[in-house]
Amino acid sequence: MATVRDKGYHHWDGRLEELRFPWWPVTRNGIRLSFQRKYFKFLVAFSYLPAFFFLAGIYISERLEDFRFMVRGSETFLAIDPKYFNTYFTADFVLFMLIMILVFAGAGLIADDMKHNALQLYFSRPLRKRDYLFGKAAVVFFFVLALTFVPGMILLFMKLVFSGSFALLVQYPWLPLSIVACSVLYAVVFASYTLLLSALSRNRRYVTILIFAVYLFSDILFGIFYGTFRNPHFGLLSLKANLQQAGAAIFGQSTPFAFPWLLSLLVLAGLCIVAVAVLSRRVREVEIVR
Amino acid sequence: MSIEIRNVHFSYGRIKALDGVNLTLNGGAAGLLGPNGAGKSTLLRILLGFLKPERGAGKVLGYDILKDQDSIRRAIGYMPEDDCFVAGLDAVSFTAYFGELSGMPRAEAMKRAHEVLFYVGLGESRYRLLDTYSAGMKQRLKLAQALVHDPKLLFLDEPTANLDPHGRRDILELIRDVASSKDIQVLVSSHILSDIETVCSSVVILNRGVVAAQGRMEDLKAVRYSLFEIRIKGDRSAFAAALEPTGCRIEETPDGLMRLYMPPERDANDVFRAAVEAQVQIRHFIKSRTSLEDLFAGVVGVD
Repeated sequence: MATVRDKGYHHWDGRLEELRFPWWPVTRNGIRLSFQRKYFKFLVAFSYLPAFFFLAGIYISERLEDFRFMVRGSETFLAIDPKYFNTYFTADFVLFMLIMILVFAGAGLIADDMKHNALQLYFSRPLRKRDYLFGKAAVVFFFVLALTFVPGMILLFMKLVFSGSFALLVQYPWLPLSIVACSVLYAVVFASYTLLLSALSRNRRYVTILIFAVYLFSDILFGIFYGTFRNPHFGLLSLKANLQQAGAAIFGQSTPFAFPWLLSLLVLAGLCIVAVAVLSRRVREVEIVR
Repeated sequence: MSIEIRNVHFSYGRIKALDGVNLTLNGGAAGLLGPNGAGKSTLLRILLGFLKPERGAGKVLGYDILKDQDSIRRAIGYMPEDDCFVAGLDAVSFTAYFGELSGMPRAEAMKRAHEVLFYVGLGESRYRLLDTYSAGMKQRLKLAQALVHDPKLLFLDEPTANLDPHGRRDILELIRDVASSKDIQVLVSSHILSDIETVCSSVVILNRGVVAAQGRMEDLKAVRYSLFEIRIKGDRSAFAAALEPTGCRIEETPDGLMRLYMPPERDANDVFRAAVEAQVQIRHFIKSRTSLEDLFAGVVGVD
């Protein structure tokens, strides 16, 4: 017979365990809070629009005879090869939607915790700074991979299903690795970018503006300098251009801008290093004014 | 021994926050008392491992404060001074979340969150978003998250800050209950003397980064002096002069009450002898309880 208990304090019978992945509750909570935001589900669904178009492209490419009336002159576009995947990964719309998702899901990741003094609650638990930061970064990983790795792999899988052969994989055996590498690069860069900006302010709105502004203005700046000096190296100022340059290199395609893709990788690596440095300074258990 | 620290030093730049603090605390509720800037919060943060002392060593529940920070944080509950919450969560999710981060299984943390929220008096509003909570509710919530994983030791930093008298009384009642009947040791840091006096059985008074006094409340209050409240009829200055050789300190209140602080080696007969000598009548004579306020004023050096 169950014991009747009043609503007072009772000791807990269980044993506190050392968590194998202490960052996981932080990640799960971050993802859950993102989906609680108004319109976020619609935004995520809308972000998959390009993936559906590319999926339709794969289907049509296998049934060119049936769709000849639709694709007159676009056969080259419907050649399913690494370039096709590169086009998806480096599409302006996909990158823009990633930024939109980060605005909703990433802006408050650290800013909200700083605003509401939650850091000291986190760190009064057996949670280290690296677990906290990885937990927050994993929220960004989740959304970026959901829009890059997942559709990339589904597109590849559907191509194999529709074609009924492994010809694509035989011809380009490194293609799955390229999809993984590009997705991971995007995830790491966007996580660094978002957490860096989120740690700079305690106000989510400012961070939202920063995420948009840095992405857009870095590209506008590139346009202005390129228009003035005709030097493609100004592309290094643009986050979007650097991602597209690195993405093209990963998929073995000719780069869209006339400068070495390695420079873009260095710029992106620099962004990550700056993010780590800023985060280790800004995220601390207690505010110390020396 | 729940807390033992030896010769702990810590500075914020050139400002010394703790200067060779030695401390031993055992079971029950202990108060960490001191004026603002005395080093109370710094000491709590060192015990939690948030700050690393420049010198010194210590143990909390047998765990080294320099090496076993994870074990300490698993075994203690911490209620910070500031308003702290995670935006967008309700009280149950919030409390369960921090239970899980402490190492509880998810389902257990959720079950336990309901229990502790009822215990702290937030049962009816446990599904409300935290952004809509009042100051008093946030204070209770902080206590709930500190209790959710059933800690052996609770650190409470200014637990009654920003509370109205009613809310303050309720929180103190909860703390007293936790400390006295739930077998949880409590360390309360506060600059409000009456809070410490209400809840704690022992006290540590910090002043300018050093321990000014430490011990059981009764002992500390008793050893300093005896306090008498007296009303007389006659020449007050003659009476004061007659008492001067005894080493008594006299304070007069606006309504004519004399508070007489008598050294431990003297007794009440000295007061009566002085009255005879000064030819005054004693109309009112009560041996008063020495308050923590008197002790605090004595060791910290303020009125």
